[in-house]
Amino acid sequence: MAEKILEEKNLVIRHSALELIEHWAMAISGLILLLTGIFELPVAKRYYIIVVPGLGWSADFITSLYLHYAAAFVFTAAGIFHLFYHGLRGEKGMIPQKGDLAASITVMKSLIGIGKEPPLHKYLPEQRLAYVGMAVTMLMLIASGLVKTYKNIYAPDMSHMVLLWATWIHNIFFVLFFLAFLAHMAAIALRPNWPMVRGIFTGAVRLDYARHRHSLWVNEIEQVQIVPRTVIDATPLPTADPAPDDEAASPPVAELISEDKIDGKVEQMPEDEKAAQDKE
Amino acid sequence: MKEKKDFNISRRSFLKISAGAAALTGVSLPKTAFARTEEQLSTLIDLSLCNGCADRQKPACVGACKAINKDKIPQVVGNIPEPWPRKTIEDWSKKQDVANRLTPYNFIYVHKAQIEGKTIFVPRRCMHCDNPACATICPFSANSKKKNGAVVIDQDLCFGGAKCKDVCPWEIPQRQSGVGIYLHVLPDFMGNGVMYKCDLCNDRLKEGKLPGCVEACPRQALLIGPRKEIEKIADQRARAMNGYIYGKTENGGTATLYVSPVSFELINKTIDKKPGQPNMKPQIVRRMAATDPLAKAVLAAPALGLAAAGALNWFSRRKELVKKEEKNNG
Ligand code: SF4
Ligand code: SF4
Ligand code: SF4
Repeated sequence: MAEKILEEKNLVIRHSALELIEHWAMAISGLILLLTGIFELPVAKRYYIIVVPGLGWSADFITSLYLHYAAAFVFTAAGIFHLFYHGLRGEKGMIPQKGDLAASITVMKSLIGIGKEPPLHKYLPEQRLAYVGMAVTMLMLIASGLVKTYKNIYAPDMSHMVLLWATWIHNIFFVLFFLAFLAHMAAIALRPNWPMVRGIFTGAVRLDYARHRHSLWVNEIEQVQIVPRTVIDATPLPTADPAPDDEAASPPVAELISEDKIDGKVEQMPEDEKAAQDKE
Repeated sequence: MKEKKDFNISRRSFLKISAGAAALTGVSLPKTAFARTEEQLSTLIDLSLCNGCADRQKPACVGACKAINKDKIPQVVGNIPEPWPRKTIEDWSKKQDVANRLTPYNFIYVHKAQIEGKTIFVPRRCMHCDNPACATICPFSANSKKKNGAVVIDQDLCFGGAKCKDVCPWEIPQRQSGVGIYLHVLPDFMGNGVMYKCDLCNDRLKEGKLPGCVEACPRQALLIGPRKEIEKIADQRARAMNGYIYGKTENGGTATLYVSPVSFELINKTIDKKPGQPNMKPQIVRRMAATDPLAKAVLAAPALGLAAAGALNWFSRRKELVKKEEKNNG
């Protein structure tokens, strides 16, 4: 488990290096796919995209196809890897939970100043919903794209029915992918989400932010990390099976994250770290 | 009467062609015509036989094609929407009679080459390529290749973006603005009409009929038949006249084979090349072929992703196990 609290640095490790690589492989290849996908439509000449310096190639469908294939290779491999690797490991952090729809509305309302944001997990409920939407969109694009690719090499005379399905699924999910990308960018633009942006670049987010907003998540990590700390404190370890003990311990920990406690923590932050944080 | 005779000639030679061809291949001719939709077909165009129908007002092949397709294009709208921002409109509806080039209303014309005092007549139309980029990368799959080899644009699905024309090495498909589905979507911003070209008379083939041009040619310069046999005949005729073949390798191979006593190098050099009157460059390459290796990598990508996921999962499980053991031991 990569997740870890670095108390002295005021950071929580949110994503492993592998997850960062997955995200950026799919993000960059996805962007290239989006752009070259648009260039596979006869738009570059009509909309004078070819006159833009550096985009002279945009009207050449074969050049765009090279790029589209190259990006599709990365996108497909990374997407399938992601699905199976995290699936095999049984990671469910991004799978929507019951009540996510209602919770995401509450969160969104709180973003525009109506009501209070509930304590959150590692991912926001809308992140989990968006994740599934994005995953389905990507899978549809990959599946239909593979049919189209197969046709290009081996079967230009494949059943027109199958081809029309693949083509229109590809086209419709291309539009959805574009919209999903715009929504993703819009989510980043929202101020309360800014601290998470750092996470997808460096893998870590600020601990005080996480305590404040993702309290349920920090809580979980602390339950795992709390034991070593007790050891350091030389407190005798409970001899009994630790599981029930942990369970018994959780309610107080949950209490720990009530608003004023967090504020208290922030105030106790060492001066230099606070300065570093302000700079961000 | 003459019309009738022509018809009989081609009917007799239906798809298995001339007596010479039958003798050559030794295959017995099918007595009844049947729908040619599954079997791969090829056309042979013998330039040693075509005389451009010098004795007629209009070449018979061109006339037949025009007659068959005269009602194909629906009524063009009164004021064709002006595309934005590039204002290209292509309207041939008032020049439907043009017969000396490809237009949306003319799918075949006879290209003339003056070579050493002699005129070579080259009937030109879509080559029905084996792996036609015009069809495979049509964004709406409006253009598609059929099992029998015909490359057909479905005019109800085409937006007239002319991508097919751009990727065709001969720029065969021709646009008529002001018709088609784009009028009902976003005519100012998307699409610009419908692309038209020869469809090998696929509907006629389905009915067991010959393509109009093949049927009409009084000199049997045009023949259609099973691909293998047409290839054999083309080779045989080329050898006999010490001549040349065009269309076998061009653009990755096509379902149209020209046989000529004069080299296509020379023909290409001498013909006028203008819009709607394409080149005849020998060995013209299929550019998309170069993208095939990358495309194959894409097809392998899911397996790669899966294998990597399995392998990495196995490694990390082992690492966790080893760690646990060490902990237990220590
Ligand atoms: S192919 Fe036949 S019909 Fe066409 S111009 Fe030549 S001789 Fe005439
Ligand atoms: S000749 Fe051009 S339009 Fe005809 S099938 Fe080949 S690429 Fe397509
Ligand atoms: S095959 Fe049919 S559509 Fe094509 S040129 Fe001949 S008559 Fe015209």
